[in-house]
Amino acid sequence: MSRPNWRHFDWPLLLAVLLVSILGVIMMISAVQGDPQLTTYPRRQAIYVAVGLALLLATAVLDYHLLTGFTVPLYGLVLVLLVLVGVLGKRLFGAQSWLDVFGLFPVQPSELAKVVLALVLARYLAARQEHIGRLGTIVGALLIAAPILIFVFLEPDLGMTIVLAVELGFLLFVAGIRWSHLAGGVVGLMAAAPLFWSILQDHQRTRLRIFLDPTADPNSYFNVQQALVSVGSGGLLGKGFGQGTQNQLHFLRVRHTDFIFSVIAEELGFVGACVLLLLLLFILWRLWRLAEQARDAYGRLLVVAVTAVILFQAVINIGMNMALVPVTGLPLPFVSYGGNAMLSFFLMIGLAESVAMRRQKINL
Amino acid sequence: MTTRPFDPTLRLWLLRLGTVLVFGLLLSRLAVMQFVRGPGYEQQAVANRVRVVLSEGERGVIYDRDGRILARNTVRFGVAVVPANLPDDPDHATSQAKRHAVYAEVIRILGEALSEYERTVTPTPTPSPRVFPPDLFPGISEPPAPTLLDLETIDRLVAERETGSAFAPVLIAENLPREVVLRLAEETYRLPGVELRLRPMRYYPAGADTAHIIGYMGPIPEETRTTYAEKGYSADAWVGWTGLEFTFEDVLRGRPGRRVIEVDVNGRERGVLGPETPPQPGHNLILSLDLELQQAMREALVAGINPKRSESAVAIALDPRTGFVLGMVSLPSYDNNIFADGITTAEYKAIAEARGTPLLNHAIGGIYPPGSTFKMVPAAAGLEEGVITPSTLLDDPGIIYLPNRNAPDNPLLAQPFVCWIYKYGGAHGAINVKEALSVSCDVFFYKLGGGWYATQFEGLGIDTLATYAQYFGFGELTGIDLPGEHRGLVPNPRWKRIAKGERWVTGDTYNMAIGQGDVLATPLQVALMTMAVANDGYLYRPQLVAAITDASSRLVRQMEPELIRRVPVSPQAMAVVREGLWMAVNTPAGTARAAALPGISVAGKTGTAEFFDPDTPRDGKGNLPTHAWFTAFAPYEDPEIVVTVFVYNGGEGSEVAVPIARRILEAYFDLKARDETTGTRSVLDRLLTPATETPAP
Repeated sequence: MSRPNWRHFDWPLLLAVLLVSILGVIMMISAVQGDPQLTTYPRRQAIYVAVGLALLLATAVLDYHLLTGFTVPLYGLVLVLLVLVGVLGKRLFGAQSWLDVFGLFPVQPSELAKVVLALVLARYLAARQEHIGRLGTIVGALLIAAPILIFVFLEPDLGMTIVLAVELGFLLFVAGIRWSHLAGGVVGLMAAAPLFWSILQDHQRTRLRIFLDPTADPNSYFNVQQALVSVGSGGLLGKGFGQGTQNQLHFLRVRHTDFIFSVIAEELGFVGACVLLLLLLFILWRLWRLAEQARDAYGRLLVVAVTAVILFQAVINIGMNMALVPVTGLPLPFVSYGGNAMLSFFLMIGLAESVAMRRQKINL
Repeated sequence: MTTRPFDPTLRLWLLRLGTVLVFGLLLSRLAVMQFVRGPGYEQQAVANRVRVVLSEGERGVIYDRDGRILARNTVRFGVAVVPANLPDDPDHATSQAKRHAVYAEVIRILGEALSEYERTVTPTPTPSPRVFPPDLFPGISEPPAPTLLDLETIDRLVAERETGSAFAPVLIAENLPREVVLRLAEETYRLPGVELRLRPMRYYPAGADTAHIIGYMGPIPEETRTTYAEKGYSADAWVGWTGLEFTFEDVLRGRPGRRVIEVDVNGRERGVLGPETPPQPGHNLILSLDLELQQAMREALVAGINPKRSESAVAIALDPRTGFVLGMVSLPSYDNNIFADGITTAEYKAIAEARGTPLLNHAIGGIYPPGSTFKMVPAAAGLEEGVITPSTLLDDPGIIYLPNRNAPDNPLLAQPFVCWIYKYGGAHGAINVKEALSVSCDVFFYKLGGGWYATQFEGLGIDTLATYAQYFGFGELTGIDLPGEHRGLVPNPRWKRIAKGERWVTGDTYNMAIGQGDVLATPLQVALMTMAVANDGYLYRPQLVAAITDASSRLVRQMEPELIRRVPVSPQAMAVVREGLWMAVNTPAGTARAAALPGISVAGKTGTAEFFDPDTPRDGKGNLPTHAWFTAFAPYEDPEIVVTVFVYNGGEGSEVAVPIARRILEAYFDLKARDETTGTRSVLDRLLTPATETPAP
């Protein structure tokens, strides 16, 4: 096995991730002002970043090939945790996505599922590179992913289910799925859409309906409308840190998670929001570059899974703040409050760095 | 068959390109929102958080001339719960249990305090009939009973309110006595979410005695909403609806305070933006009215009329030197406090349509034939125009026949005109104008007004008579500082042609000369005519408000007497008319001898005005029903008070109206003597003296 090469460690990527995370912690201070129940959140978010950084470095040092031995046990663990959530998880926003392990701190198994799905599918598809053109290979990948997707969906967590599906899609695409299979899958999904609608939970249908027809429910529409006002009233330089009226007077709801981007756009303006967007784009650019430079297919697919999740969640969350996509409750990577998401994103960057430190010399 | 491993380079580049495109889309959306649509969103953000809060300044107090309060501010006590401050628990059942404990405790405390209050406090008996007839509105004039919601209703209302604005209080008890509210106030520290509510309201201590003058307040009427909004009234403000509360709304109201505040999403105040304007209390009104005289006038009226027969009655007292009103009673009256809580449409209708229309101020809004009181006008006009001299004699044979215009030689077609004395089998004979006024001879005034063909006596004629009636204020608004005045009617040939399609005939002039026919006047116009006779022709605008003071009782404005016009009648002619009125009271044949007071010389004119009303039957002899009038001034030598009494369907002026006026004059001079003995000066006099010192000649 190869030794870690610190010269190949992607320092700019880590720097960008840390900058975005620090921006998140700072804006958290502003977002929880005047909310006595949330005063500890910025400090806790900072601790998550610190722990996440340690986790990132530890994962980077670890050779990602060693993880193949843990893939199957991890897959089983995630399934067990997802089942436990259904039985023991506590209700939160109508979804049973949290599991309080021994009452210590809540664990969100679906966050772990993102990482495990990446590991198991990357290993499966890398091992079948020569047979990627066969339909059986594709069906096998779907069958592996299906239990996780179904359990997450049953929690019910629609947003995270879509994230996992997108992750699966990106992996199949980069692994080399035939265009014909891809097209067939897309047609199949569209045909299944009515069935899918019928099994959606009420609050998910409401969210979709409000997105399609904003006047349907004034109460829920209020949140999105206030996000638009927050972003739109930010202007070039923003209203200043801690000075955003929409944020500070709580016209903006769920400020520390779903709508943290609105807080940034309102208080730091176009300049601040641009910096955030460009940092995220930079992170994604570096990740695509790493995927290209990976030593082997397994490493490449790991990085692609990581990139897909970060890209999708960032676009959906920011798009939701600007009423481009429905409100799905997906956190903004590295910025929204939440220990599980923070640790899982840092773990994923750690995996990418692990691949980076073992990439081949560029021989062109 | 083995295939070559798939080369992902192309697809990775496609994804990289897609990533850049998506971020480009996000950036352009951000730029459009923040730059192109930014101003619109900024406005919305400001509208979200900025509120202008208006607070009404305390309304001014209304005093009588002696500083007795006629309108003041009070509060009504209530209890409310604020849903957002009630105990809360993530578990719904626990939360409900905690809240129910709070409701139950409030209900227990209030219930106990209320029953204790009712046991210990006996209601004060009503000192005197407040409305006439006294039993006109049982129940409505009582103060509203305390209300207290039950637990289920509170629970339901709180649940409804919580889905909307959880910070808006839910009223659970109202109209509580002060003592009961204080009991609860001691316990609120352990009852989270429970608040005491004070609702400012207007209180009128004199109630029905001054209701027509003070008026009342109510919510802004729909049709005047924009007018009041432009003046800075909030939509739920109350405004004067009638009486002085209406006329002096701008003075009483004062300036509202204005605060611009920043609120959070729940509407809670989070900060103050910009400078704050504190509310300025309104100004106070000091009336020329004397409440003691007013009450004596009401008592004199109630004692002097037969309520079964007379559905309404009026008494007015004016100062003829200035036009200021000393008292004004219109019966039936109502307790204006019943409007302080708002009133249902049914209740309003019941009062508005009750017998005698209690809401109408008959003194200014009722129009009646003035009858013989009107004779002052032809008397003054005849003397001034030279139609008669003080010594001109006109003969009253008891009945005269006015020949038919088309058949002057046929006595069967002639129209008879009788003097009132004719039905008692008498006649006044040849008398002069003073005697005619004192005995209220009708034939004298027929001839004076319309002429007498037999002696080729040229009367005044309708045009001159109507002109002088207008000089004395008939047919026009007096301009009193109250809403709801009627202008009355002075008929003339043109009016008759248009209104009735008939030609004016001499008989019409005859009728008008004795205040009958189509001439109609308000009791206040009769009082004003009397004022002009008493003071040599100075017709002053009647005023109730004599002075305006600020919240610290400093004089802001003194109302000056306002001359409507100088009636163009010489002092000599006016003196003759006055003498005729003096004779009516002070000579054996006079019609108003019952008005004589010991030590004070009174002068006056009675009136017994026939009226036609399908609902009021004629008497047994077929005579039309009559209103009783008497209008007087005193002292004769130097008049300082005019009293006018009107009793609807009262019968003879000399029998019904004169005794009432005598009591009022008596009360006035008794009160004056009392104040002079004790050396008391009214609050109004003390306030005005520094400002009214006559400059050195």
